[in-house]
Amino acid sequence: MKTARRRLGLVARNVGVPILSLVLVLVIWQLIVVGFHVASYVAPRPRAAIDSVTQNWSVLWPLVLGTIRETVYGFVVGATLGFVLGVIMAKVSFLQGLVYPVLVLSQAIPIIALAAPLVLILGFSTAPKVVIVAWIVFFPVTVNVLDGLSHVDRDLVNLAKVYGASRWRTFWQIEIPATSTPLFSGLKIGATYAVTGAIIGELAASDGSSLALYQEHANSNLNTAAVYGTTMVMTAIGISWFLLVVGVEVFATPWRRRTVARRWPWRRGRDLTDH
Amino acid sequence: MTDALLALREVAKSFGDTVALSPTTLEIAEGSFVAIVGPSGCGKSTLFNVIAGLLAPDAGDVLLAERDVTGTTGHVGYMLQKDLLVPWRTVEDNITMAKRLTGRVTNEDRAEARRMARAYGLGEFLRHYPSALSGGMRQRVAFMRTLMTHQRLLLLDEPFGALDAQTRLEMQQWLLQVWRDAERTVLFITHDVDESIFLADRVIVMSPRPGRVVADFPNPLARPRTVDMLTEPDFIALKGRIMHLLHGGAA
Ligand SMILES: Nc1ncnc2c1ncn2[C@@H]1O[C@H](COP(=O)(O)OP(=O)(O)OP(=O)(O)O)[C@@H](O)[C@H]1O
Ligand SMILES: [Mg+2]
Repeated sequence: MKTARRRLGLVARNVGVPILSLVLVLVIWQLIVVGFHVASYVAPRPRAAIDSVTQNWSVLWPLVLGTIRETVYGFVVGATLGFVLGVIMAKVSFLQGLVYPVLVLSQAIPIIALAAPLVLILGFSTAPKVVIVAWIVFFPVTVNVLDGLSHVDRDLVNLAKVYGASRWRTFWQIEIPATSTPLFSGLKIGATYAVTGAIIGELAASDGSSLALYQEHANSNLNTAAVYGTTMVMTAIGISWFLLVVGVEVFATPWRRRTVARRWPWRRGRDLTDH
Repeated sequence: MTDALLALREVAKSFGDTVALSPTTLEIAEGSFVAIVGPSGCGKSTLFNVIAGLLAPDAGDVLLAERDVTGTTGHVGYMLQKDLLVPWRTVEDNITMAKRLTGRVTNEDRAEARRMARAYGLGEFLRHYPSALSGGMRQRVAFMRTLMTHQRLLLLDEPFGALDAQTRLEMQQWLLQVWRDAERTVLFITHDVDESIFLADRVIVMSPRPGRVVADFPNPLARPRTVDMLTEPDFIALKGRIMHLLHGGAA
């Protein structure tokens, strides 16, 4: 009873408060537009922006799907690559000195400048956008994984060694779980940038239909409501992806907020084999 | 050659110009509880790291049950002042950690871990994460994890050094109980002379620069040990001799 109430409070805080702040943003938007008599071609009312989305949903939906696909593929590729690079650099110190500057360099290149050669190589398909998203996502993952792995408690690693653990076991049983906090920090940063990367990719490497070009089109038609509406859709994709990563983190790291482990139905047999 | 479980023969270790351990010869009988005391930096932990195989000695051999284990790992239980429990595993899974690192955790292992935890007052916490435990409870879990290595020799490096005096005394009594049940050989480093006498059959005194054994006292106190013994004449006398070596300047 008590825990149920506490859980309800938690849900209220974790879901209610963000929704409240969202509503607040819409209210302030509405107040500014109405209060300062902003012309509708400069900034629409929230309602008009939302309507522009719902009324054109059948046109928007495939474009949204395209953006989601680029975001997800790019994120998965980038996160995997980032993780592997981080591990390699942490484990092979001479590679760290060799590769790190190149990685930093890669992030100094303006993404727009990257698009033209990517289109030449990969054409106007999903591929160049995936590459751009991965390009943005891998870096925070690599940096955080490298940092995390370099700061695993030496005594803990030594303890595993004394027990006779192989390097492989030590890596998966000790070093990787010990790195979960920075790993997820990197993933969350990557997740926030992923959609931005996909949109930039669509702008710079799109021939026909994409969410970014839809917005450009609306903009050149002075359809400001649709411009704002599309921005809202893009933001929603970004937030959803970020929340999904946060959800995975919460699920994967129960020890951070629980004192007692969850009971899994498929592990019950294990828990009963007692006497 | 000998009946000793552990035998060190002229084991030495230096770090650059620092002689952490000058050639040391030592025998530890099977089933005994031996304490090592000495000032900070006299090479106690270095000695342990050599025995455990984390450090290869510059010279000498480490024999465990007459087998040469110099510079190899996987043959002792080992515990530090830091409990080193992994926060992402439950108490039960921490206790069985050695098996998870070296083989497969079987249902028998889990059952044994649970039995042990219940017997030694942690039955309620099997499914808890270590963050929910007090310092004393964490050290108990760490010690059970050490026992679950199933090694005959346990190296405990100041395991209670971070606990308050009250908890420490409780932990010492607890350790004696577990040690009696588990029939293992214990090497125990401590800064606390009272602790060394209360626990051990034998107290080895080391001195720094270069780190070496300066005395090896048999402990006349009978077992089982009780808190009353902390004020007995035998206790006081032994304590006096050790304190003299540690702080009296004569070495
Ligand atoms: N990895 C290392 N590299 C260099 N010097 C070291 C290393 N480990 C220990 N030493 C030195 O060896 C000497 C003995 O260290 P050790 O840790 O064995 O002492 P200790 O008796 O355990 O001290 P304490 O009681 O403070 O734990 C010290 O002078 C220390 O500075
Ligand atoms: Mg030490």
